[in-house]
Amino acid sequence: MPDKVPHDRAKKAAAMREFGRLRAAGLPVPADVRARHVWATNDGYATGPDPGQRIPDFALPDQSGAIRTLDDLAGPNGLLLVFHRSADW
Amino acid sequence: MLLEQNGVRIAAVSYDAQEILAAFAQRHAIGFPLLSDRGSEIIRRFGIFNFNMAPDLRAYGVPHPVEYLVARDGAVVNKYFVPNYQHRVTGSAVALRQFATVDREGPAVTLERGALAVRIGFPSAKAFAGQEVAFFANFSLQPGWHIYGAPLPEGYTTTSIAFDGPNVGSQRLELPAAKLLNFPILRETLPVYTGSFRWLGTLLLKHPSPDGRLVLPGHLGFQMCSDTVCEPPQVLPFELALTLDPFLISDRDRRLQGGTTGAPEAGAPHR
Repeated sequence: MPDKVPHDRAKKAAAMREFGRLRAAGLPVPADVRARHVWATNDGYATGPDPGQRIPDFALPDQSGAIRTLDDLAGPNGLLLVFHRSADW
Repeated sequence: MLLEQNGVRIAAVSYDAQEILAAFAQRHAIGFPLLSDRGSEIIRRFGIFNFNMAPDLRAYGVPHPVEYLVARDGAVVNKYFVPNYQHRVTGSAVALRQFATVDREGPAVTLERGALAVRIGFPSAKAFAGQEVAFFANFSLQPGWHIYGAPLPEGYTTTSIAFDGPNVGSQRLELPAAKLLNFPILRETLPVYTGSFRWLGTLLLKHPSPDGRLVLPGHLGFQMCSDTVCEPPQVLPFELALTLDPFLISDRDRRLQGGTTGAPEAGAPHR
C-alpha cells in the first residue's frame, strides 16, 4: 500500500518534537502545545474494518515466538484484538 | 476476567520486536498473547497505520489505537476507539456493553425515591487514567409509574445521569428506546420508561489523573409520574469510587533510569 503521507507531516513532527522536548526536560506542557501534539498524532484517525466486515488474515509471532492466527487465538465467542502503540515506550 | 467469562480471549498487536514483548510480558505477568507486527504490515492491512509519524520518529509504524471484537469467522462484531491516543477503552466496558457482565467487586450504589429504585455502578473497581470506563444504571419502577425519555415538550424533565468533577472527560449514555405513551387528558404523546430497564453509559477518566482512590460525584435527574399524579422534578446526588492504578513505567524509561545515558528521542510522544 502506498504511504498516504499527509501534506503537513513536517508541521506535525515539529508539534510532536516540541511536546517531547518539554516532557523530556520535565517542564510543564502548556495547553496549546499539548493540543497541537494531540492534533498532530490523531489527525486523520482511521479505525479500519467496521462491524460486519471481515478483518484481514494475519499470522504473527507472539512473545514466545509462536505464530498465531485468529483461529487459534479466538475463544468460543471470539477475540478482542487490541492494537496499541508500543510496549517499550 | 470479565471477557474470559464470556468466551472471549484477548490479544494485543504492536510493532515491537518479539524480545521487547517477551520482556514486557514477563515483567508485568501478562497472560495473553502480545503479537509482534515488525514493519507494521498487518497494521497497514487493517488500514490503521498512523501516517502522521515522520520516519525518523520512534513512533513511525504505530497504529491509530483501535480495539476490535472479532467473531470466530473473522467478522467484526464491534470496534472501540477513542480519538486521543492517551485514552483507551477498558475490557470491562467491552464486557458490559456486549454481554452485560458486571464484576461482583464493582462499586455500585442504590438510589431509592418512592416508586423508583436505581442501581448505578461500574463493572469493575479498577481503572487507569485515560480509560473510557462503562457504567450501568438498572432502573426499577413500580407498576403504574413512569419517568421520561427525550425529546419532551417544555415543562417536563427528561431522565438524566451525569458524573461531575475535574477528572471526568466526555460522557455519554446509550439508552433503550423510550416507549411512546399517549395521555388522552393532556392530548399529548410522550416518551416514557416503565418497569425495569438498564441504561449503559461511558465516561472518560481524564489523563492525567492522580493515582489511588478517585471519588466520582454524580447525579440522577428525573421526574416521576403515575397516571394520576406527577411529582416535582428531582435530583439525587450520588458518589462512586474507583481505584486508579499507577501507570506502568515503560521498559524504555526504566532503561534510561537504570543509568543508560541519552535523552528520550526528540518528538517522542509519551503516554
